[in-house]
This record gives sequence, C-alpha cells and structure tokens, in this order.
Amino acid sequence: MAHMESPQDTPVWVNTNNCKACNICVTLCPAGVLGMIEADTSILGSTISVDYPDSCIGCNACELSCPDFAIYVSRKKDFKFAKLSPDSKQRADQIVNENKCMSIKGSQNG
Amino acid sequence: MAFDYSKYLRTDKMPTLWCWGCGDGVILKSVIRVIDELGWDMDDVCIVSGIGCSGRFSSYMNANTVHTTHGRAIAYATGIKMANPDKKVIVITGDGDGSAIGGNHTIHGCRRNIDLKHIIINNFIYGLTNSQTSPTTPKGMWTVTAQRGNIDPTFDLCKLAEGAGASFIARESMTNPTKLEKVLKKGFEHKGYSFFDVFSNCHINLGRKNKMGQAKETLDWIDSRIVSKSKFEKFTPEEQDGKYPTGVLRQEEQDEYCDMYKKVQYASQNNEQVKF
Repeated sequence: MAHMESPQDTPVWVNTNNCKACNICVTLCPAGVLGMIEADTSILGSTISVDYPDSCIGCNACELSCPDFAIYVSRKKDFKFAKLSPDSKQRADQIVNENKCMSIKGSQNG
Repeated sequence: MAFDYSKYLRTDKMPTLWCWGCGDGVILKSVIRVIDELGWDMDDVCIVSGIGCSGRFSSYMNANTVHTTHGRAIAYATGIKMANPDKKVIVITGDGDGSAIGGNHTIHGCRRNIDLKHIIINNFIYGLTNSQTSPTTPKGMWTVTAQRGNIDPTFDLCKLAEGAGASFIARESMTNPTKLEKVLKKGFEHKGYSFFDVFSNCHINLGRKNKMGQAKETLDWIDSRIVSKSKFEKFTPEEQDGKYPTGVLRQEEQDEYCDMYKKVQYASQNNEQVKF
C-alpha cells in the first residue's frame, strides 16, 4: 500500500492547489466539518476550509468522492476520531440547506 | 497517514482538466486503489483510452498509456493484448466512444472474450463537445441536438454486453466509490472480457440544462436511477422501468481469446487443426 505522511494531529487536510470548489465534500460530510471560503486565485473563487476538525468521524466519504485529489483523511489507526454528535449532525443539515442558496450556485448554473 | 495516489499519477499534470466535481476523477481514484490492492506493477499495466472527457484518463495514470482515436480504443487494446498476453490492459471509454462510434468494437471485444478490462464511463451525454444526445441520454432530457426533449430510447449497455457474450458484466455508479471499488476488483481479477458500465455525472453539460446545476444534484439523480441487483429482481416490471440494476450482473468462465490464439500458433507449427 502506498501511503503518505499526514500533518501531525490532523484528521483531514486539503491540497488547495487541486481543489476546484465543486462542493461535493461539503454536502457529503455527515458531521458538518467542512465549509467553503473565498479564495481569489481558485478556479471558482472559493476553496474548502476545514472548520470543525474536532467533529470529524473519519468516515472517508469526502476523500472517496473528491474527483480532484484535493482532500485527504487520516487512517483510523493513526488518529482518534470523534463520534457523530447531534450537534454536528444538525450543522451538517444546515450546511446542506445553506448550500442550496449559496452564491456559488449562480456561477455554476451560469 | 492517508492513501497516497501520487505514485500512480503523473503529478505534473495536476490539477486535472476535468470540470469541478466530474465523476471521471472518482473513477480514476477507484481504479488506482484497486490496482494498489491487487499489487500490480505499473510496468505491466497498459491504459488505453479513446476520445472524450474520459480520454484524459490515460494522460493522468503513470503507466503505459495509449490515447487512441475516437471509438477505436478496443481495437488498439486488442492488438496490445494479443502482442503482450501477460500484461494487464485496461480500456477506458465514454458512452459515446464505447456505444456509438465504437459500438461495433465493443460487441466484438465481448464476443471474442479477450482479457480486457473495459470501463465505460457513462455520463449520459457527449460532454466534451457540449451536450449532444448520446445513445444513453434518458428520454425527455434537454440536449443541444434535442432542444424539445430527447425522444430516443435509452441504451442498456449491460444487456448489449450480455447479448454479445462478455464473460464478466457489472454496473456500478461513482456515487458509491466503495461499492465501485469492490466491483472493479472482482472484474480485474477475472480472466476474460470484463465489461463495466459505470454511471458518472456531468452536471455541467447535462445537469445545468436539466435543473441539476450543482454536482450533488446530479449525483442524487443518478442515485434515484440505480437499485441493487437483488432488489431489482424483486420489482414488478412497472417498477423496473427506468431503473438500472447494479452489481455483478454476470460472471462465468469462458475460453479466453489469447489462450485460444496460442492453440492456433501450436496447430500452425505442427501443421494440424485446432483442437477444442
């Protein structure tokens, strides 16, 4: 197995050079860990930010569904992940709802 | 630690040229993980791709790669496999590439049962050339060549492969990368023609004009069209309409073409007829 070293004590990290801001990881995250921030140099003017790393449950959904090799999740044996809490679940629902009226949608619907 | 894809990628070509959220990237990742799991040496792997967005696939893999002409990927791959029977040949085509212009190569690849791993990335549209109707475009969808809604019936590629005689047929969607990985692994281990119909998203050229502008909306739409094989079999014919079974749809042992060709070589050297 080919493995890369992760930054110390980090559950999930982003390669912003590869990120195209498709928003898939943000909508898929069951714990509301991820969000989008503005980034002038990025393709769609935004990039992923890891807002609540402490809530990450290590499900790997974001990494598996990222088409651009931009997001990485630590292995379960290397990092002690949190359990899915009602708070983080609620935050995830909120993020999905907010995404539906985000400005980025305008640019994608172009 | 996390999985390192860079060993299998031409990292100087990153980021990919595909649109944001394109399913091709997810399938590329799945193929890499399966190759890693099977422990294949990249010197023994040949990736052959045709023309289309899927054609970029061969450019990103750090293996022996051939980016061929439109629709002819199977023809090239057949030649590569016949000359190097011990190598692993993976063919990537799109739905237009593999079922329209290259449809005849696909059926004869299936019929010969030559040991190729043929992945059709099925995104229901000609994405690279901006939204023309492809053989797999669902009825009623807006495309630039069917602006009042597409009237052509949709092509079921797995049924085509079944009729043509492929020995391994599977359908999966990139919305579930874990399942996709399992199915790809089974097919890659199979000796004979492995045919994969992998549903993928094109929210840019299909989605935006059909009220699914966000990547996630197209993914949800794909999810609504697929159902596991076991569930599908329990459905009534009315319920089956418009749904596609996923998983391994056929797996059987058949004579492999390269093995049969060795018999021809032997028979020719000994001046006799091929024995079956």
